Amino acid sequence: MKLLIKQAKVIDTSSPFNGKTIDVLIENGIVVQLSKKINSKADQVISEKGICISPGWVDVFANFCEPGFEQKETIQTGAKAAAAGGFTDVFLIPNTKPSIDNKSQVEYLKHKSKKLPITIHPIGAITKNTDGKELAEMYDMRAAGAVAFSDGTNSVQSAGLMVKALQYAKAHDGVLIQIPDDKSINPHGLMHESVISTQLGLPGKPSISEELMVARDIKLSEYTDSRIHFTGIASKESIDRIKKAKKENLKISCSVTPYHLFYSDENLKDYDSNFKVNPPIRSASDRKALQKAIMDGTIDCIATHHHPHEKDSKVCEFEYAKFGMTGLETAYGVLKTAMPNISDEKLVEIFSTNSRKIFNLPAASIKKDAAACITLFHPNKKWNYKIETIQSKSQNSPFIENQFTGKIIGIINKQQVFLNK
Amino acid sequence: MQLSTRHLLGIKNLTKEDISLILSTAGQFKEVLQRPVKKVPSLRDVTIVNLFYENSTRTRFSFELAEKRLSADTINFASSNSSASKGETLLDTVNNILSMKVDMVVMRHSASGAPHFLAKHIPAAIINAGDGVNEHPTQALLDAFTINEKLGKLKGVKVAIIGDILHSRVAMSNIYLLNKMGAKVVVCGPPTLIPIHIKEALNVEVSYNLKETLAWCDVANVLRIQLERQNQVLFSSLREYNLTYGITKEVLNSLKKEIVVMHPGPVNRGVELDSDVMDSKQSVILQQVENGVAVRMAVLYLLSNRKN
Repeated sequence: MKLLIKQAKVIDTSSPFNGKTIDVLIENGIVVQLSKKINSKADQVISEKGICISPGWVDVFANFCEPGFEQKETIQTGAKAAAAGGFTDVFLIPNTKPSIDNKSQVEYLKHKSKKLPITIHPIGAITKNTDGKELAEMYDMRAAGAVAFSDGTNSVQSAGLMVKALQYAKAHDGVLIQIPDDKSINPHGLMHESVISTQLGLPGKPSISEELMVARDIKLSEYTDSRIHFTGIASKESIDRIKKAKKENLKISCSVTPYHLFYSDENLKDYDSNFKVNPPIRSASDRKALQKAIMDGTIDCIATHHHPHEKDSKVCEFEYAKFGMTGLETAYGVLKTAMPNISDEKLVEIFSTNSRKIFNLPAASIKKDAAACITLFHPNKKWNYKIETIQSKSQNSPFIENQFTGKIIGIINKQQVFLNK
Repeated sequence: MQLSTRHLLGIKNLTKEDISLILSTAGQFKEVLQRPVKKVPSLRDVTIVNLFYENSTRTRFSFELAEKRLSADTINFASSNSSASKGETLLDTVNNILSMKVDMVVMRHSASGAPHFLAKHIPAAIINAGDGVNEHPTQALLDAFTINEKLGKLKGVKVAIIGDILHSRVAMSNIYLLNKMGAKVVVCGPPTLIPIHIKEALNVEVSYNLKETLAWCDVANVLRIQLERQNQVLFSSLREYNLTYGITKEVLNSLKKEIVVMHPGPVNRGVELDSDVMDSKQSVILQQVENGVAVRMAVLYLLSNRKN
């Protein structure tokens, strides 16, 4: 099958065509020709003024809920949501039922996702059943294809266990992904602890519970000389700690969600449970610090923290609602709208290049004879996030009916093409 | 005159005029309650459900009596002996009740924001009878009514709220109300029981010294230590709490003036209040309960849209 992309601007610093607007011909999933104008006939032509192409985008932290919670999302529906959001590669967290804590679970996800247009990278659990007690069989999972290790939404509380996990993962230069959250401080917190949580009468999670875990894990990473990736960074203090650690060349990297760059705790004033997420959405000044950290490179990449929930888990009392919102389909629009001045190069860096480097994924360069793993996007196109276009099985998103600038056109990956309508 | 709101979700959403209107209407109902026939036909043909997802004696009886004195039809729901214990959701329960043509919902719930959630999804008027650690608006209204009755004003009155502020919706609603009406508020208790952002969030002063606070105030509103809400260690023992923050007769006698002692009930005798203080003439606890009925009649009447 031949696919021709007409007049697309290449955003890929590793490609000789970076910054140029060209035609690209792809045959059976391989890039066969790149030039100013290609007249060859093709089975499918993508032609839209103003589109950009880049190496396929990566989400390093998403939940497809299968096996165990198929009422929220399945691998099939999650993959569609990812493709609609421009992601060719998605890391799946192990918080399923059963957890992804052994080789056969990793193989199950790999096998089940073979024919999908996106590439799934299972994250193996650090501990059995992600309950923070006993180390899971990380070497075995690594061999089966686990991309990294994490207890997902359950951050590892015991420092002693974390040391062992870091040392253990070092044998294969593995990365541990951690949501920084010291649960001994206000374990029942429902939102960011602030003036607003006090006014709402909702128990808060203070920034310090995040910062303490960041500080602890930086120390543990230094002590073990092993790699940690923090995800869902939400506070200014965490950013300061990470920035300092990076200056000292410690093996630390981090990611942020698009929604933490967009909202602040002011948005919770109506008790809208769609805003109930962990780590919590913090203050406007924290948001500002996160945006700045994207620009100065302290934050390496984007993690959507896509957590689908069926209606019954969200349309209820705030306290009883489950944590999390969906995020794959809106990631680009949210980020581009929150930070309209961000350059396309920077975007591709945080959506693709950096995470590919940190987690040793193929670079996915747009060059001749390479397998096509491409995200197509339109930086200036305005669009509305409509409930009827949602690909995810769930609709727990406060972004519904929001207008965004910056639209995903589609992806090309694994010899398949997925285009948004 | 009309309230600016359809529901009573909290004092936070009321204007100063709303509060004055409720208090003056409550004054009229208090007069009704002194008559030999205590019943008026104001809410005839209005059906009210009392939805109590959390235990209550005083508030539930007070609402039910207020409804009956206004000639409303009432039904009662307690979560322990109802469909909630079978796993039905709040929204399903309320919609089922409303389909039986119920006009107003009085609700107590352990989750902050539960009545706000309900207000977004159902058409009936909602009165918050306490939600989690957020608000308990009718308690604040009856406290204000009692202070006004005792001291003749709210503006400039110095009120100390003492004890477990962290778990207290009564404190929250009282602070909102007293601030709106121009009273001065100090909260006092051990630092572990006072929300860390309270000064900025609610515009109050914070004190950790009981004696100084009592010497300053005109009214001490003493809160219950909510043993059922303490899911972590916040003070070492009830004995130590009583020794440091309990109101005793000695400490009251050592003050230069006679202050008014209030408590929303139920009292832990010998913890936050000593028995001889509770039973003294400085305590207005039973007057608060009495006024509760009149205040709730006023709220129900004003929100019912059945005014002649």
